Amino acid sequence: MSTRRVSPILSGVHFMNGDEAIAEGAIAAGCRFFAAYPITPQSEIAERLSWRLPRVGGMFIQMEDEIAAITAILGASWAGMKAMTATSGPGFSLMMENLGLAVMTETPCVIVDVQRGAPSTGLPTLVAQGEMMQARWGSHGHYEIVALCPASPQEAFDLTVKAFALSERFRVPVLIMTDEVVGHMYERVEIPSAVPEAARRKPKVPPEEFLPYKPDPDLVPPMACAGEGYRVHVTGLTHDERGYPDMSPEAHDRLVRRLVDKVRLFPHEYTFFEEVQLEDAEIAVVSYGISARVSLGGIELARKAGIRAGLFRLITAWPFPDEAVFRVAQRVKGIVVVELNLGQMSREVERAVRGRVPVHGVFHAGGRIHTPEEVFQGIEEVHRQCR
Amino acid sequence: MSEIQERVAKRWKVPKGYIYVLEEFCKGCGFCVEFCPKKVLAQASQFNDKGYHPPEVVEPEACVLCGFCERICPDFAVWIERSEEEAQGEGP
Repeated sequence: MSTRRVSPILSGVHFMNGDEAIAEGAIAAGCRFFAAYPITPQSEIAERLSWRLPRVGGMFIQMEDEIAAITAILGASWAGMKAMTATSGPGFSLMMENLGLAVMTETPCVIVDVQRGAPSTGLPTLVAQGEMMQARWGSHGHYEIVALCPASPQEAFDLTVKAFALSERFRVPVLIMTDEVVGHMYERVEIPSAVPEAARRKPKVPPEEFLPYKPDPDLVPPMACAGEGYRVHVTGLTHDERGYPDMSPEAHDRLVRRLVDKVRLFPHEYTFFEEVQLEDAEIAVVSYGISARVSLGGIELARKAGIRAGLFRLITAWPFPDEAVFRVAQRVKGIVVVELNLGQMSREVERAVRGRVPVHGVFHAGGRIHTPEEVFQGIEEVHRQCR
Repeated sequence: MSEIQERVAKRWKVPKGYIYVLEEFCKGCGFCVEFCPKKVLAQASQFNDKGYHPPEVVEPEACVLCGFCERICPDFAVWIERSEEEAQGEGP
């Protein structure tokens, strides 16, 4: 008999689906606490972590519902763990209240939403992208968080690692807004032997001088976790730097502004996008997740038909990359937005292009992905309009 | 690092690989001992932190690495690992 520290990262080349890649990405990033309630199409994440986490010294817990799941990961985060939960539409709605608690208490955590057909129970086993606006505005009050959209299992792994880094950097919940097709699609996933560690910002002052919500110059306060000798104060009430309730309008405005600005002022750190064949394009297709992969087929058809089209793929959905989209609008004659809802991110695109070019939506409520022909028809339509 | 991350599993070498036991996850149900077709496992005489008797490997040579123990454990406390040479010898 011997003891051995098991190497946590499953390095090497694997054939796995997006859900499993997210689970492995979490383990690689140092996540050792996962609480969730099973729901299609997220279950593969929970299933894999249920046996993977105990083997790397972590904890998996199946909670009674999604409200409890997000609350558990907030508690775990305050106890010093890197924590994640995963869900789909109905569970995502249940998590909304405590998403706001995570924002107010500045708790780093990662929340995965594998989107399926909705509203309500909708199409449990089929794809949609209907929670893009909910991700931004679903909880009450004004806040700014980061949401990332992977388009392949490999990217699901990479973005999960990145999500943990961003959540620790800004002390915000980071959302991974994936969809059923990416979640269930099997592809090659290359896992490195090590990933950069997402370190938590620790207090630099002795415990007697520590103020739990006194921000550093970049507006993010260092975080003392329970049991480290510092005073830990967690509250959803509007609070001052000590964490004490402060009911004055000035304090509230100051706090909410800081919570928003600490993310908003550093767009270069979280704004990711991909441009494909956009250099000479007259029509730009703006899309994300699985819809962006389908759009590539539509762009190919358009190029064959003599329309120079290109893809602008949103990897960061929130905060929306206004400037990057505006720069695209300055170069092209028209924009097509492809998404599996009836127009959510297209509203953001319309706002960001400030009326410079026509924006045409290729929408589908979900249940299946677009066909390349549908995307092509959208491109043709805009091309006709702006001739 | 927290206490949980410091936790390590016990490991036994068996002909085709390894058997791991994470004692702190065990609630002493005895399923693994009962279901092992080769009687490789037995309940240990010592207690874990929760006061249960976790399994231990008593007949390592008998193990054929069938994985029943891993399958049956309700608490993810027992698992197997195929040794590198064994894994390479297998089909895709």
